[in-house]
Amino acid sequence: MHIPRGGKVARFVCTLLVTYFLSNAYLFGIGAREHRFDPDGGEKLRVVASTTIVGDVVANIGGDAILLTVLVGVGQDPHSFEPTPATLAAIESAHLVFVNGFGLEESLLEAIDNAARGEVLSVSRGIEPLGEAGEEGHDDDRSPHGHVDPHVWFDPTNVFVWIDNIEDALIHADPRHRDIFEYRAGAYRQQIRELDESIRRRVVLLGDHERKLVTDHGLLGYFADEYGFDIIGTVLPGTSTSADASTRHISDLLRLLRKEKVPAIFVGSTAGQGMEKLASSLAGELEREVRIVGLLTGSLNPPGEPGDTYISYMEFNIDRVLGALTQ
Amino acid sequence: MVEWLTEPLSYGFAVKGLLAGLFAAASCAALSAFVVWRGMAFIGDAIAHSILPGVVLAFLLGFSLFLGALAAAFVTALGIGLLSRKHTMREDTAIGVIFTGLFALGIIMLSRITSYKDLSHILLGNILGVSVSDVILMAGIMVAVILTVTFFYKELLVTSFDPGHSKVIGLSPEVIRYGLLFLVALTVVAGIQTVGVVLVLALLITPAAIASLLSKRLLVIVFISEAVAFFSSIAGFYASYYLNLASGASIVLVLSAIFAVVYVTQRIIAK
Repeated sequence: MHIPRGGKVARFVCTLLVTYFLSNAYLFGIGAREHRFDPDGGEKLRVVASTTIVGDVVANIGGDAILLTVLVGVGQDPHSFEPTPATLAAIESAHLVFVNGFGLEESLLEAIDNAARGEVLSVSRGIEPLGEAGEEGHDDDRSPHGHVDPHVWFDPTNVFVWIDNIEDALIHADPRHRDIFEYRAGAYRQQIRELDESIRRRVVLLGDHERKLVTDHGLLGYFADEYGFDIIGTVLPGTSTSADASTRHISDLLRLLRKEKVPAIFVGSTAGQGMEKLASSLAGELEREVRIVGLLTGSLNPPGEPGDTYISYMEFNIDRVLGALTQ
Repeated sequence: MVEWLTEPLSYGFAVKGLLAGLFAAASCAALSAFVVWRGMAFIGDAIAHSILPGVVLAFLLGFSLFLGALAAAFVTALGIGLLSRKHTMREDTAIGVIFTGLFALGIIMLSRITSYKDLSHILLGNILGVSVSDVILMAGIMVAVILTVTFFYKELLVTSFDPGHSKVIGLSPEVIRYGLLFLVALTVVAGIQTVGVVLVLALLITPAAIASLLSKRLLVIVFISEAVAFFSSIAGFYASYYLNLASGASIVLVLSAIFAVVYVTQRIIAK
């Protein structure tokens, strides 16, 4: 086979190859650049938080001493977040990046790891994760394959661990402001303690039959675990929007709802329409009223609305859960 | 002006993203001419879906999700090749049958396991979040695609238009057909996990769709596709930086806009 191929193509290939090798040299050059916070440089510590919930806790501890950017905006689902160049620029120039961990950030975490030049920390480090039903979770809090439930903040006592981690990291990065961070962390711990106590005071009034929850997946796991509730059924077996519930699963759930006389099904506000429809058709199959109660999940509400801080978000959700269970 | 161009490049993520985007553009555009010409424009979309069972299986067995996806993509390519052999079935029909089957298998597998993560999206990359190894991977894919297309250009040309004739002159259209399918599968799997799914699908179709409006010669189509893909990648990238929009989608919109302009201009001229 002798077919003239033309020098043009060959030249094009060579140019591309040269571009490729040059670009690699450039890339590795960039990777090596130092990125340390200089406390005497007169600038503030630049901190990035992945979600509004992590961001609120960080802001409570860092206060005015840090410059905070929150990546996933209000009302956006951290599971399916599309970053823009400004997002990545904030990550790259940050001295510290706080993520929730346990796989909540999904592919965003990879983008964060690839772009960040400062330290990337999971605020949940040290929390004992809940795994799959009946299974022990494993220790790796940055596990990319999410066998564990990442929604740890539904239990306020886990947020104590967050506060410790954030306080340590901020002091380590900017020791000059140690007093401020320690003072603010202490004050915030007190607020979380009050939140925890107020939940306990209300939960204690519930009877055993009022402690049964049906939710969509991975919503109230840590809450139930800490405050003595039972999640007796989930609407979908997995969080994936593609994971159709099987006919069997739904009929089992129907039987359960009939038997246990559960008054409500809790779904996340970011769950899709499919989920709501499924939950309402379940309710329609039953002979009695079953309320579909939406809860705030991955993001705080916009400023000014109830649920615009972590604490008010928890109070909002607890009100809704307890209200639905005791109606 | 120079500053306007260099400012985004002071960020490492932007340099890596732009390079990965350009490499993906070069690979996809080179293949797009053949993909469009053979009427299998939806092979990209099909592969993006049919990798699901491979990803779930790899997740369960705890090995590389990328390799799982790649294996499933090759199974897809093989299946499409077998079904459309000897023109028993059009390639687009074969693509539809295979991909829906595999995707449904993936959904069934997914519903059998409990995971807090959305496995159907786990592999989808983003052009802004690429790592150095992603850039190297895409560069390697680009070199493989361009070398293959360069050295087998004549064979690809002949088999794309006249499989009967190619047999007469002693080429095996089968080998070429499978080769092309595997190359597309490899490029799509590598592309969706580095630069994202929408961008790869668009780069695999729109450049050649634009070029086909402008020329009927395959070599010219390949070069116009490359030029269009490069220009769109750069223009879309800068637009996304300065307007703060998602980068992959911006590049796709530039491609779509070019297509619209060329199409409308041609209609007007034709009158």
